[in-house]
Amino acid sequence: MRSPEPILSIQGLKKHFKLPTKGFFGREKPVVRAVDGITFDVIPGETLGIVGESGCGKSTTARLIIDLIHRDAGAILFEGKAMGEALSPKEYRRHVQMVFQDSFASLNPRMIVRDIIAFGPMVHGMPQKEAEELAYSLLTKVGLDPARFAGRYPHELSGGQRQRVNIARALAFRPKVLILDEAVSALDKSVEAQVLNLLTDLKAEFNLTYLFISHDLNVVRYISDRVMVMYLGECVEIGPVDEVYAHPRHPYTRALLSAMPSMDPDKRTMEPPLAGDPPNPINPPPGCRFHTRCRFAEDVCGTVSPVPTVRGSMHFAACHIGTPGSGHSRAGETT
Amino acid sequence: MAATVLPVPFERSPGYWANVWRRFRREKLAVFAGCVLLAILLMAIFAPYIAPKDPTFGTMLRRLRPIGTPGFPLGSDELGRDMLSRLIYGARLSLFMGVVPVFIAFFIGSVIGIAAGYIGGAFNMVVMRIIDVFFAFPSVLLAIALSGAMGAGITNGLISLTVVFIPPIARIAESVTTGVRKLDYVEAARASGASAFTVVRTQVLGNVIGPIFVYATSLISVSMILASGLSFLGLGVRPPEPEWGLMLNTLRTAIYVQPWVAALPGLFIFITSIAFNLLSDGLRTALDVKD
Repeated sequence: MRSPEPILSIQGLKKHFKLPTKGFFGREKPVVRAVDGITFDVIPGETLGIVGESGCGKSTTARLIIDLIHRDAGAILFEGKAMGEALSPKEYRRHVQMVFQDSFASLNPRMIVRDIIAFGPMVHGMPQKEAEELAYSLLTKVGLDPARFAGRYPHELSGGQRQRVNIARALAFRPKVLILDEAVSALDKSVEAQVLNLLTDLKAEFNLTYLFISHDLNVVRYISDRVMVMYLGECVEIGPVDEVYAHPRHPYTRALLSAMPSMDPDKRTMEPPLAGDPPNPINPPPGCRFHTRCRFAEDVCGTVSPVPTVRGSMHFAACHIGTPGSGHSRAGETT
Repeated sequence: MAATVLPVPFERSPGYWANVWRRFRREKLAVFAGCVLLAILLMAIFAPYIAPKDPTFGTMLRRLRPIGTPGFPLGSDELGRDMLSRLIYGARLSLFMGVVPVFIAFFIGSVIGIAAGYIGGAFNMVVMRIIDVFFAFPSVLLAIALSGAMGAGITNGLISLTVVFIPPIARIAESVTTGVRKLDYVEAARASGASAFTVVRTQVLGNVIGPIFVYATSLISVSMILASGLSFLGLGVRPPEPEWGLMLNTLRTAIYVQPWVAALPGLFIFITSIAFNLLSDGLRTALDVKD
């Protein structure tokens, strides 16, 4: 199967945060490798889930993609055009928008809902009247009655309602790609389900492509077509969601999935839980970054970085075990 | 996106400032202080109609009369001028010297602070370290040094007081803006592709101006006292212009002859500055809406 032309292509994205401390008199400043060379494609119309522990660089990746933080290296291609070169950042942002996690902090407390939604289109030159009418119609689309909600301030809304406003605000740009950074994580379960269903409906109606970032593996499985697993600023595994969940290839993905409680007592997890915390991203371990916590780690893992290998259609993992001739004693085994 | 029903009239919630006003009215002490200030302001504006006598006309025959002398309800000063008239006229210059420097510094300091806070990084470093240099001097000393160097007079006094108040206001503005800048709604506005100026104007300004304004009002009393101090030292307002600080100065030699009369300008300074402080306290409580 040949993959279709990607709508968004992320190539070697890197962000190293310099720490302000201990950089005195020529000593090298410590650097946090928050995102360290991530490459992936987003296919039009799909939902790509991104999962990983806290601190693995999920949110940084989101902010890099939308250019809120400027990348140190790498390229972002939207429909084949490089953002910042062939495509101006302002133009790019009309096509790629983001819904933030904290529904409270992401709405200006001094603006009414209508003006919050109309702000984006007006920045891009839409007349105020038209932008306001767009805001009313979008409020209807996200399930909020404009007559009741358009004139309200954010503090008069519940968490779920605020997140709906956030979604409407992002949709007002008529984007093609929507980045959802933990967009439902702060909501309680029943509201979360409503918002997820709303997202599914909106995706069909507006032909959207989602980049769905979450730490909740169940939610990611429910909404995603493909899933990407991140560990310490790197992508360790990416593939179709059912395949990754049923046959995880990377030991980290396996550990992550085994931490997911099952309702079925027969499907009790046999995988031992991961010990310890992720290593410090200031000095990530050499070789495979996961080798300090991996049950199958051998000498080669501590020295050579694994190269992603493919299995089946588009199921990639970066592990020596799945790589023939890598030097690992179990190299080439189907993991 | 087809044209859907467009409800033009919708329920509009009372705005943030309507809320603030509702909360402010509950602050009894602040409302009272506001009334006192309003009275002093009206007194200053209508001084020519209220004051019984010319504040600069004195007769050496009626020097230093005590309070309650017929024709001199609050006594007379060391040149025989009517104290009541001088105190009423004095409100003009004293209020002016209290409010105007803070007002100018509020604008300049806010611009500096918001710019430093929003731009951040090296620009913030440079600006705030320059501001810090001004903090090395006690404000009284700085005001005296500046107006001393520029020479006596109202304009120079005004300039030096403004310079004194820019750094503290800029610092408050910077810290409030730094806090707001990191919030998601500012990020979201940046992600819309809006220019930095638009983002500051529409998203940042409304959320930082309240705290800065409250802080500025609390500086008015300080400004009044500093202005009085400058006048007292002969650096601000010049005689025979009536101004409370200057009056305190010229009457100090009479403190053993007519202590009550000599203390009156001080009392007015005290009442006005404390009223400004109470007002500012009430404003702070009222602005502190937990959204």
